[in-house]
Amino acid sequence: MESARLKRSLTGIVLLALAALPLFEPHQFVLHMLSLVAISATAALGLQLLLGFSGQLSIGQAAFYGIGAYASGLLSAKLGMPFIVAFFAAGVIAAVVSLVMVPITRLTGAALAVATLGFSILVYLVLKNEEWLTGGSFGLMGIPRASLFGYVLAKPAYAYLLCVAVAAAVYLSLLRLQRSRFGRAINAIRQNEDAARACGVKVTLLKSQCFVIAAFVAGLAGSLYAHQVRYLAPTDFTFWKSVEILIMVVIGGMGSLFGAVLGAAVVVLVPEVLREVGDYRMLIFGAILMVVMLFGEGGIAGFLEQCLRPFSKPRA
Amino acid sequence: MYLAELLAGALAIGCVYSLVALGFAMIMRATSIIHFAQGELLMLGSMSGLSTLWLLPKLPAVAVLICGMVASGILAVAMEFLVYRPLRLRRVALMNVITATVGMSILCINAARLLWGSEPLRYPELFSTSAYRIAGVPVSPQLVWIMAFGVVLMGLLQLFLKRTRTGLVMQAVAQDAEVAQLMGANLTRMMLYTFAIAGMMAGAAGVMFGSLFFSFFEMGFLLGIKGFVAATLGGLGSLAGAMLGGILFGLIETFSAVYVSSAYKDAIGMVLLIAILLFLPSGLVGLWKARG
Repeated sequence: MESARLKRSLTGIVLLALAALPLFEPHQFVLHMLSLVAISATAALGLQLLLGFSGQLSIGQAAFYGIGAYASGLLSAKLGMPFIVAFFAAGVIAAVVSLVMVPITRLTGAALAVATLGFSILVYLVLKNEEWLTGGSFGLMGIPRASLFGYVLAKPAYAYLLCVAVAAAVYLSLLRLQRSRFGRAINAIRQNEDAARACGVKVTLLKSQCFVIAAFVAGLAGSLYAHQVRYLAPTDFTFWKSVEILIMVVIGGMGSLFGAVLGAAVVVLVPEVLREVGDYRMLIFGAILMVVMLFGEGGIAGFLEQCLRPFSKPRA
Repeated sequence: MYLAELLAGALAIGCVYSLVALGFAMIMRATSIIHFAQGELLMLGSMSGLSTLWLLPKLPAVAVLICGMVASGILAVAMEFLVYRPLRLRRVALMNVITATVGMSILCINAARLLWGSEPLRYPELFSTSAYRIAGVPVSPQLVWIMAFGVVLMGLLQLFLKRTRTGLVMQAVAQDAEVAQLMGANLTRMMLYTFAIAGMMAGAAGVMFGSLFFSFFEMGFLLGIKGFVAATLGGLGSLAGAMLGGILFGLIETFSAVYVSSAYKDAIGMVLLIAILLFLPSGLVGLWKARG
């Protein structure tokens, strides 16, 4: 089988398996954790576009994730908007806020990292201090469950399917984007910005577009999170959350969408699995993180691909 | 009177930020790594200083400071030798090394929580409690000593880098590693020295901060970020800029907490940071150079 086809059929099988999972009636907690994986995967996919495809290091994705979560939570809890409206509004609001930050896409490397970090801290402070709007440190309560066409998704299985569906939709859209003219252009920017500009690629415009798309996707993920957990506290959206999303992308494999999903699964599930060892679990997680970095840029996805290589014929 | 005390406080905390920022800048110059575990080196130095004080309660402040510095220095060398160097030797991407430093930071935080518990720990009084009078203004001895230590340490570092052979080689490696290596510089050893010095600066900052406030297993996180911001404020990778940036950040933070809003004191620093990055990409030192 050709490598691309093998990948496509694997994607299909994985998606089918994920969709069929509720049929086996797993424990509620398992479904909840898998929903959280899907939500994190969505946010990580957004950062993959920004970091893995266009080469922009942002450690402030939690800002847009948090804006999306609070926007969606406030719109549905305070204004009683239906979920579907709040969901898309969350993405749009996050994207609009990211427009404020668009000038910083001129920066590169560490300077861009610090600027996004600073923005992330700003957003956290606003979420924490504007009590009249966000409930401050007490958090935002009373967020309704997600609902579609008037039906409340009360069963964990339905909420899980919603999260997986959104993650899959983002995954497939970004896959198409990667192979489009746009995707090739930002890939050129990542490899060599000056050369890309010399070839007539509108570097600044494309980099800003990536930034806004990543913010939009993070906003969507935030909205899902708000309706899944139904309680928001500013501490969910600190700088650590940004770092977590970054870890997902790097651990899974830079530039690989499948890697971002794998990375999300590792970052969300491994600490849960390690709960057995109690106090040592984050200690071990830190060590695992450093060891995985030895795999190189490909991360876990690259490692798996190497394992699969014997099964796929090289392209003619 | 009040203003003088405030200024002394701002300068003292500024010295702490400067020392952290110096470590960031040195590692960034030599390896282009954003060293996220820098704050944890600070925390571990603070904890080590406190532990030696528990063992030997009569130790003078300078000795505690040196203990913290040595402990952090050794830890930083261990990090470089056991983790970052193997990663570089395998030629993994820079992003992977940076993520590994995040892993190191998670490891250190949780190790510290197991060793020292999760309660904030108070330092015993390191300095006399009766206020000094400087030109008739009472200033707390703690602040005076911390400023003095900070200035002396930064002065010593400058002397080391400018006047000793090893220091000059380190500067050369930071400017162009390949050429320096062709001239006979031992790259591996210079990297170890860089991490040792960065660790020692962080350790000193940890003991200073601990004696001002408290030691806490998560303290390194926010202080690390502030040090990183200070390093950027001055101009990434410039040592003079890092020192200046640290002091400036201390001033901004303290005065905006008092005169603007204590809830948003960190926000003002961040807004300024983003503005500086946009309009003065080479930091404050860049402004200086453009004029001169």
